Amino acid sequence: MDLHTRVESHATVVTISGRLDAVTAPEYEKRIREMIDSGAVSFVVDFDQVDYISSAGLRALLLMTKLLNAKGGRVCLANVKGNVRSVFEMCGFCAVFRMENSVAEALAALA
Amino acid sequence: MPGKDSIVIRLVLVITLFSAVIFAVTLGYNYYRSRAILQNELESNAHNLAMSLVHRVEAQLTAVAKVTAGVALSLEISRHTERELLDLIRATVENNPEIYGSAVAFEPYAFSASKRLYAPYYYRDKGKIAFSRLENSYLDVPYLYWDWYQIPRELGRLEWSEPYFDEGAGNILMSTCSVPFYEGTGAARQLKGIVTADVSLEALTNYISSVKILRTGYAALLSRNAMILAHPLNEAIMNETFFSIAEARNDPYLRALGKKMVRGESGFVHYTSIVGFTSWMYYTPIPSTGWTLAVVFPEAELLENVRKLSMTMAAMGLGGILLLTLAVISIARAITKPLRLLTAATDEIAAGNFDVPLPAVRSNDEVGVLTHNFQLMEQSLKEYIRNLTETTAAKERIQSELKVATQIQASLLPRIFPPFPEHPEFEIYASMVPAKEVGGDFYDFFFIDENNLCFLIADVSDKGVPAALYMMVAKTLLKTEGQRLGEPDRMLASVNRILASDNDSCMFTTVFCAILDTTTGHVRFANAGHNPPLLVDSQGVRYLALKPGLMLGAMAETVFVTERLTLEREGILFLYTDGVTEAKNGEEALYGEERLLRALQSAPQADLATLVHYIGAEVAQHAGGAPQSDDITMLAIKMKTNNVNRQQAGKGHE
Repeated sequence: MDLHTRVESHATVVTISGRLDAVTAPEYEKRIREMIDSGAVSFVVDFDQVDYISSAGLRALLLMTKLLNAKGGRVCLANVKGNVRSVFEMCGFCAVFRMENSVAEALAALA
Repeated sequence: MPGKDSIVIRLVLVITLFSAVIFAVTLGYNYYRSRAILQNELESNAHNLAMSLVHRVEAQLTAVAKVTAGVALSLEISRHTERELLDLIRATVENNPEIYGSAVAFEPYAFSASKRLYAPYYYRDKGKIAFSRLENSYLDVPYLYWDWYQIPRELGRLEWSEPYFDEGAGNILMSTCSVPFYEGTGAARQLKGIVTADVSLEALTNYISSVKILRTGYAALLSRNAMILAHPLNEAIMNETFFSIAEARNDPYLRALGKKMVRGESGFVHYTSIVGFTSWMYYTPIPSTGWTLAVVFPEAELLENVRKLSMTMAAMGLGGILLLTLAVISIARAITKPLRLLTAATDEIAAGNFDVPLPAVRSNDEVGVLTHNFQLMEQSLKEYIRNLTETTAAKERIQSELKVATQIQASLLPRIFPPFPEHPEFEIYASMVPAKEVGGDFYDFFFIDENNLCFLIADVSDKGVPAALYMMVAKTLLKTEGQRLGEPDRMLASVNRILASDNDSCMFTTVFCAILDTTTGHVRFANAGHNPPLLVDSQGVRYLALKPGLMLGAMAETVFVTERLTLEREGILFLYTDGVTEAKNGEEALYGEERLLRALQSAPQADLATLVHYIGAEVAQHAGGAPQSDDITMLAIKMKTNNVNRQQAGKGHE
């Protein structure tokens, strides 16, 4: 997994590529925690280049919402598609997370 | 033990070799120089010796020549009567011991007109003076034709003859000094005869042979034609010339040497002597006769002292090198002793004995530093091993605890099949293969009342101990709530509420939960984010299209929906976790839902245990030895045809 972040005007865009599984999820969790601890409250997570998500990855995303809820923050997922989308649908994530088709739309949704 | 590369052996080899080479070079140079010096000295010695011999011989020959010339002069100055002539010749022989014999040989009719030939001859015979007449003594050839007469007659001057055996007259080996004498002066000057004086060659050669040079060296005399006159090789005397010997030996060097001698040169040469020794020779001519005198020094004898000295030096050198070697061994051993002790100690350490004492550090040299460092290393190793032992023990304890946990977890899942022998109307089989020691997957089935069987399969996020703990809680809750509430949606909602509260770690579990009415085959089911099960019935094999539902523990107020289906007779519901569909092979390819579907189509369906094991084998075959990354859990349930007897239902199960 590779993780890049860039700060837009009102949200932090997190771009993940590769796999989000039991091996990489702890790293993701750590980075997100650091950003939230340093005051970021609005996130767009770009799933464009994510091939695979496991239950550990799902857990990391849940943890992220939970942390953000406690601070009154928000997260919007972008480009969730294919395999990852079917996993999200299967486990009911679609009802929990706001999802948009592009980073721009996600940023707009958070504005 | 150190082998042939040990420091001691290398030091000894190098030092010994080098000192031996240095010594050999020194000895060789010394021998060479001594020889050269000796040779220089020898040349001057040989020259002196030869010249002194030549002078002595020359002195004799000159005396003889003077006497002969004196007789000739007196014959020219005054006329002698026969008596006077005979007295003169006799006195000449008597007064000159070096003269063997003397004659005055006249030209034909020169002494008297009545006598054609006249040549009175006095000579020594057995200590007395004997007389003979040469014109009578020579039977075959008149004296007029002998070399001693002819050559001075033609040349008109004093001449020494080549040595010859005077057959008939003197009857010994001799050389004759001949001087012509004349009558009248100017144009009237006329040859009257030849005065001769014989020198016994035996006396001369005895004198030459008596010269002793070292033990086997000698002096030799050669005639003008290189005929051997005096030589220790007696059979060669008067029989061989230098050239005949060179010819016999086919020795061009000897021949060239002979030519130089005949030319009257003198020189100092290194050659193989006629008697066969490698020798040094100085040769020089005797001026009056043109003969050559040679002095011969055998080389072996000359160099004997040098050789002896060299041998002594070599022996001393060898002894010295031996001593040096011993010294080197002693020093090298002293240096390497602490190293050897250290090596022995490290062998012990290598064998695992960290308490072995290291040799005491006595010096501050390299070895001392090494020993000190070894002491530090030994201590560090000791410390490290102790830590490692403790860690290993702790790890082993955890391992054994994990093993126990695995057993506990396994015992929590229903493992006895058939679980309900009194219910032949359905068949159920399940299996769970954890990826780590304890897994996060589980399944369960239990009756909630007489006819309704609750069965479920679940997958806790993550694996290992945390997942196992979470699984225990979830499983217990699901069973109690299932028995209490009796409806899938209410069960899941209730358990979710409990799990979601205080769930700081955000762990969750997906659950597919269903209740089968075993009398009718009606199934009520609800899904909390789990993979859709497969339905196998008369219409084929297909995935159930489930309404999405959030997994348990994620959000407190999640609503679940109960859905329904009817499982027809011989219809199978196949539940699994993502360990099946996400099993990977070496190329990271997932097993996938498509493969699972096809595997179920071709799977034997008569017996659920066989079916589950078949799918398990298919998944394992796909993985092809790649490590299992997730728990693999499967549960299959089937409605049986009526009137199936109980024995058959139990067959093949364990």
